[in-house]
Amino acid sequence: MAAHAVAQDLVRTLRHQIAKIEGRLAERLDERQEAASQELDATGGKDMLPIGVQRLDAALGGGLPASGLAEIHGHASRDAGAAAGFALALVRLLAQEKGVRPLLWVGTADIFREAGRPYAPGLTARFGLSPENLLVAEAEKLTDVLWIAEEAARLDAFQAVLLEIRGNPPVLDLTATRRLHRRALLAGLPLFLVRAAGEPEPTAAPLRLTVAAAPAAPRLTLAGPLAGSIGPPAFRVTIGKSRTAIHAAFTLEWIDDAFRERRKHSATDTVPVVPLPPRGPAVAAAAGKGLAGAGARRDAAAGVQPAGEQYAAHRRLRRTG
Amino acid sequence: MFSRLESNTRRIAAFDARARELKLRIGMGIAEARAIHPAIEVVEADGAADRRLLESLADWCDRYTPLVALDDEDGLFLDITGCAHLFGGERAMLDDLLGRFFHQGFDVRAGLASTAGAAWAAARFGGATVVGPGEEEDLLAPLPLAALRLEPETRALLESVGLRTSGAIMAAPRAPLVRRFGKKVVLRLDQALGRVQETISPRLPVPSLSAERPLAEPIGLLDDIEMMVALLARQLKRDLERRGEGAERLQLHLFRVDGAVSRIMVGSSRPLREPGLIQRLFHEKLTALATDIDAGFGFDLIRLCVLAAARLDPAQADLDGTMADAAGDIALFADRVRAKLGDEAIRRPRLVESHLPERAAAAVPFSSLPDDARTAIRQPAVGKERPLRVFDQPEHVEITAAEVPEGPPLRFRWRRVSYRVVRAEGPERIAPEWWREAEKSETRDYFRIEDEEGRRYWLYRQGLYGATTAPRWFMQGIFA
Repeated sequence: MAAHAVAQDLVRTLRHQIAKIEGRLAERLDERQEAASQELDATGGKDMLPIGVQRLDAALGGGLPASGLAEIHGHASRDAGAAAGFALALVRLLAQEKGVRPLLWVGTADIFREAGRPYAPGLTARFGLSPENLLVAEAEKLTDVLWIAEEAARLDAFQAVLLEIRGNPPVLDLTATRRLHRRALLAGLPLFLVRAAGEPEPTAAPLRLTVAAAPAAPRLTLAGPLAGSIGPPAFRVTIGKSRTAIHAAFTLEWIDDAFRERRKHSATDTVPVVPLPPRGPAVAAAAGKGLAGAGARRDAAAGVQPAGEQYAAHRRLRRTG
Repeated sequence: MFSRLESNTRRIAAFDARARELKLRIGMGIAEARAIHPAIEVVEADGAADRRLLESLADWCDRYTPLVALDDEDGLFLDITGCAHLFGGERAMLDDLLGRFFHQGFDVRAGLASTAGAAWAAARFGGATVVGPGEEEDLLAPLPLAALRLEPETRALLESVGLRTSGAIMAAPRAPLVRRFGKKVVLRLDQALGRVQETISPRLPVPSLSAERPLAEPIGLLDDIEMMVALLARQLKRDLERRGEGAERLQLHLFRVDGAVSRIMVGSSRPLREPGLIQRLFHEKLTALATDIDAGFGFDLIRLCVLAAARLDPAQADLDGTMADAAGDIALFADRVRAKLGDEAIRRPRLVESHLPERAAAAVPFSSLPDDARTAIRQPAVGKERPLRVFDQPEHVEITAAEVPEGPPLRFRWRRVSYRVVRAEGPERIAPEWWREAEKSETRDYFRIEDEEGRRYWLYRQGLYGATTAPRWFMQGIFA
């Protein structure tokens, strides 16, 4: 009995500490947490954004969490283009899934100085993000940036929040990321924490992807790939941390508002790394597993029954979407 | 005693009562005064400081009326039309004002009349008098010409013909006066007597609506101020509703006990009426300014003004008073960010019709209103590869190797790191906009470049080979 009372006392003390951290009343914390975890069970656990690449989706357990914090890292500040580009591609996928809403891109003033500012014509052309759907917020101090992100993370009026930070500032610790994660979860909003030149460190984000640029495939013309040209952007994506915890690397290409995986990695541009779009069911079957995700979609569109192995993936993709 | 430099001589500009007893005069040379009384203490006059003091006094006088105007170097006009009853009548208001000034250590002379000219004369020559309507003539008649706000030259001319009092001018025939001394004399007289309207132009914009609350017990805590803001916003809401308007710019005036006035402005991107929303905007602004606002011994009068209002049609709100629309949520969020961190903190890109990449996208402060249809372009030019992000200033790049001078580089150095070019696309030639630029700028050749690791950059060469200056290379942006 006494041990029970002591344990209860301990729990109460801890709750008060948590309440102090979160800046709320301890009495409210209990039911709030319960509601939050219920909601998390209802949506956060299941609501996934399929990336559209079968192997990657399988490795991530169905895709990207459609709400909450997700970290996207780049090795150096030179990779800010690739990391931000990958995040914007994900935002585009979200927009296709859920309808277009404004995106908030918030960052410290130094990251925008160091890695460049968002450039509207490029964003529109490549990621279909029109200028009126983009808000760019910046502040000198990281605490102000985090404040903006936290305030935005509770608004479900946004499509997503892109929080861009350079390096590993001590302010953005486990507590700060947990606050962000929690708010984004409650609002059902994805919050991409884009970190150029950041070392992996413990955060509350359930997922961390490391993104680097990969050599792009040559442009496709009617006469085949054009030698020496630079085609659509390609990314080298490594799963750094995931709930399903499969460490793997993928090379993705962003072609016509969808991701495709490139299996055979080739830096030379004489070999066509992306096969031509199949023109009929026979060609699609011949394309084989290498194009499983894309092939399955196309088959479905053509009204052809996919192969047994592809079928399951195909069904799951449809149902969750 | 204050001295002022006038035409290379130091002269007395102002003095106190003791200097007056010593038979010194304003305008007398300092050397002369020193010769008479060697013990006098002389301080250099500071016109700018006098001006600042006068302006802060004008700020303080805002508590009586929003229409406060500066008059020359040493006077203030207060248009108290419709304000006097709030202070218990004209006499009481005048006494209140004089009393408060006295307690702050100012020697003030005031006059109150139905015309600006008569009030001016009453303040300077009458001594704290309230001149009723129709009594202007009686007041002015015995006063010297200076009471009519005439220039010294005109005054000297009038005095030379024997017109020494205002009464004399009133009695004189008007036509010869105008012919000989100009219209000004008669105009000033008419203004003082109320025959001609004289408007006082206030030094601050007059708010279209305002609500205020004098406090018996001064407050200084941020929470208390915010509570007062909410209270005043609730008062304003009724008026705004009646007009069918919402506030776009709001200003909070905090009158400190010792006379200092703080003004805090917040802007909103869409018309606001809800007290809760107004309070939240001021909450951000006040917490951001917390270190700048010195509450001192507290504020004894708080006023909330609507400086700009726009039409706001009533909309159906949820039962708990929250706005349901997503655009409203974002607008409020953006307003709060702007209130806390300034207008530059949150912006929206806007496409501009221009060839030059750095000019093709501008960042405009957030507003919920759509762009002006004439200037807005929705889609950038198709078929051109444009980078994901561009640098504030194109950064200089050192080319270490190139296959052909006109072509893309093979190796380059940027930010002290060497890069090897694997593939390149280009050039895309962009000519300068001669119709816009005053000085001659150079043609640019843009290249998309991919390095060994697959990062893609946007480089350009400025200038042409064979020209007088050697071409230079710059990094403008990076691709995804």
